This record gives sequence, C-alpha cells and structure tokens, in this order.
Amino acid sequence: MSKKRLLITAALLIAAGLFSINSTVSAQAKPQTAPPCLQCHKPDEKVLRGALGNVSMKAETIQVQTGAAVWLVKFDDNTKLTGAEKLNKIPREKEIAISFTEKDGGLYAASVSVKPPAKIRDEQFINAGELAKLVAAGPEQGNFTLVDSRPAPKFNEGFIPGAINIYDAQFDKNIAKLPKEKDELLIFYCAGPT
Amino acid sequence: MPEWKKAGNLVASTVANLKEHIDKDMPHVLIDARDLDAAEKEHIKGAASIPLSEIVPAKDRLPGDKKAPIIIYSDSAKTSEDAFKTVRKWGYPNVAYLTGGIEAWKNAGNPVMSGELKQNIVYASKPRPGEVGVEDFKNIAETLPKDKFILDVRDEDEAADGMFKGAKNIPTQEIKAKLADIPKDKEIIAHCSTGVRAEIAYHALKEAGYKARFLNAKIKIDKDGKYEITKE
Repeated sequence: MSKKRLLITAALLIAAGLFSINSTVSAQAKPQTAPPCLQCHKPDEKVLRGALGNVSMKAETIQVQTGAAVWLVKFDDNTKLTGAEKLNKIPREKEIAISFTEKDGGLYAASVSVKPPAKIRDEQFINAGELAKLVAAGPEQGNFTLVDSRPAPKFNEGFIPGAINIYDAQFDKNIAKLPKEKDELLIFYCAGPT
Repeated sequence: MPEWKKAGNLVASTVANLKEHIDKDMPHVLIDARDLDAAEKEHIKGAASIPLSEIVPAKDRLPGDKKAPIIIYSDSAKTSEDAFKTVRKWGYPNVAYLTGGIEAWKNAGNPVMSGELKQNIVYASKPRPGEVGVEDFKNIAETLPKDKFILDVRDEDEAADGMFKGAKNIPTQEIKAKLADIPKDKEIIAHCSTGVRAEIAYHALKEAGYKARFLNAKIKIDKDGKYEITKE
C-alpha cells in the first residue's frame, strides 16, 4: 500500500469515527446497555446503562457511554437523581442508569441513578473463626485462594498466612494471579471499613 | 484483617518488610527464636536472641510499648509460630513472624552477621519519614495557607462523600499520570482515609521532585467538610 493510500484510509477511518460519535441522538441500533451492565441487568428500551461521560450544567446535558456508543440526554430540575447530590458531583466513568423519554426530538432524562455499592449476601461472608480452620489446613489442602486486597506495604507488614496480595486498585491488571480453576473458593480480606 | 488479628491468629510478614525496616532505620524489634549457638553463627542485623525454649523469662525484655512492631524469625515454621503465639498472648498486636525464616532472608540476597547478638531490646516509636503531625495537618486544612496544597488521594467515590474545602482529589494510582494538575510551587499535603495510600502518594510525589508530606492517621470527612482524625 502506498503512503498516499494509507493516508486516505486513515482520513476515512477518522471521519467515520467522528461521524459515529456525532450521531448521538439518532439510530435505534445503538446499544442502550453497556456490556458489563448486562451481567446483572436486562436490557430495557426505556433505560440507558453505562459509564458517565461529560455533564454540562449549562446546556443541561449528560452523556452516557454504553459500550461502543455515546448517548446525549437532556435533563432539567425535574430530573430525579439518586445516589449523588448533584449531577456534576458524580465521578466520570461511574456506572449510571438513565430512565428516559423522548421529548422535542431528543432524549430527556426522567431519572438518573448512580450504581450503589455492590451488596454482598450474608452467606458470602466468612468469619475469622471459619477462616482460621481453612488457613490451618493451607490453601492446597483446603482448596482455596486467599487474597489480601490491601496495598503491598500493608501486606508485607503482616498478612494472613498463605494469602497472596492483589491490591484492590490494581485488581484488574492482576486477574492472572487468581487460580485458573474458576470454581475454586476465593476469599478476600482487607483492613475492614476505612 | 483487624478481626483476624484481634482473635490472636497467626500473622506472617515478608522479607521485603524486614529489609525496609532495617534499611530505613524504622523502629522495630527483631527476635531470633533459634538456639543461641545457631544465632551466633549467623543472624540478621539488629536481632536479639530469645530462643523459643527460654522465651517465658524473656517477657520483661520486650518493650513496654505494646504497639511495637515485633518480627520473629527462626529456621522452622513451627518454632516461629510457637514464638509468635507466646508473644501475641503477652498483648503485642503488631507481632508477625518472618515467612520462610532466615533462609528466605538469605535467598533474597540479604546479608547475615555472626558473633554476639545484642542484649538489650530498645524500642522508641518515631514518625515515619514525611509524616505531618496531626495538629499541623488540622491547622493547614483549616487555614489553607497559600504555600500548601491538600491532595486527597482516595478513590473518586470515596471523595464524593466529602472532601476538605480547597482540596483536590487524585487517587494514588493516578498521580504519576496527573502530575500536571499538581502545583510545583506549593508543599503538597497528602491524605487518604488511613495513611497508607497517602504514604505511597508521598513517595511518588517526592520522586517527581515535589515538596510533600502526608497524614499518617485515620480520617473521616463528611459532606460539610467536618472531619475526625484518629491517630493510632
């Protein structure tokens, strides 16, 4: 491929990219739910679920990224907000859900809700006494992996015997440290509520 | 971890932690739990000899300050664990044994010494390098002097629950990428919720050429900017 053709191809690709970002309001085929949200939520034609993009308090618009697509939604004082004090106080990239209606040819947010912290069911907790029995047997005998989610310096200072260290903030990068057998028991601990 | 420790369960620590304490001259108590002969042949710098068989009468040699970090090592997991249990029962919550013992220490390329071990165990707590005093911190947070800059290094969702007025939020793990947002001409005062991440941030800032200190204490801040600091 010649240099010139490469450039043209690149320019076309960029133009295509820009076009897809600009065409926020139209197209029914655009995904309304970001793939990670689908793990717990069913797609709903009246709801957008994804990561928060820009919020303009002046233009009264909010962006939400639902996987490959970006939606632009109008809001006003009547938009119900749960999980945050103000729209511009929500951290960017935070998972949100917008219930919308169509209004004046665009989308209008009837409500915006911020994803609440994950709920953990009681039976998913292990107490120190039960853990001590497992730890006494050891990870191999007990067939479990114990993960210390604190930063490395805290782990180094004192950890539960047999634990491995994956700092929560670097968890995504270190998934390979988890056992390959996905049905193995995983136990996480940290420094408790801080 | 707090529940685990409170119940008196075994706590392990790493070679990296001991090395840091020795290299940076951080206060700690190091106990060699092997027999005296073995310890005199080779031991880790700064260790005191308390053989497991003679541990009971050695109780009075340990520091009065029960918060002292105590590290026990030997050449067998059993010996280290038994010594740990005894010291833990004496009421020292911050005792830990060295994983892998003296072998792991040597395998990591660290030096050992021979000869007599020290007799007296001396321990005095001291602030960690870069630590800002709690009163100093309060004063800075409340008066916000022009030459200081408060950096909240907690995650965004934690900061969303309440921050200091005038503070900026950049999570610890994003500092290196966002140095442009941190003023070079001010002293940076970093805080998180426990002191751990603030200390990591302090080192990152220092490495990048900033003048910085960090708050090594637990802190809670509510929506109105009201706060509560607990120093352990």
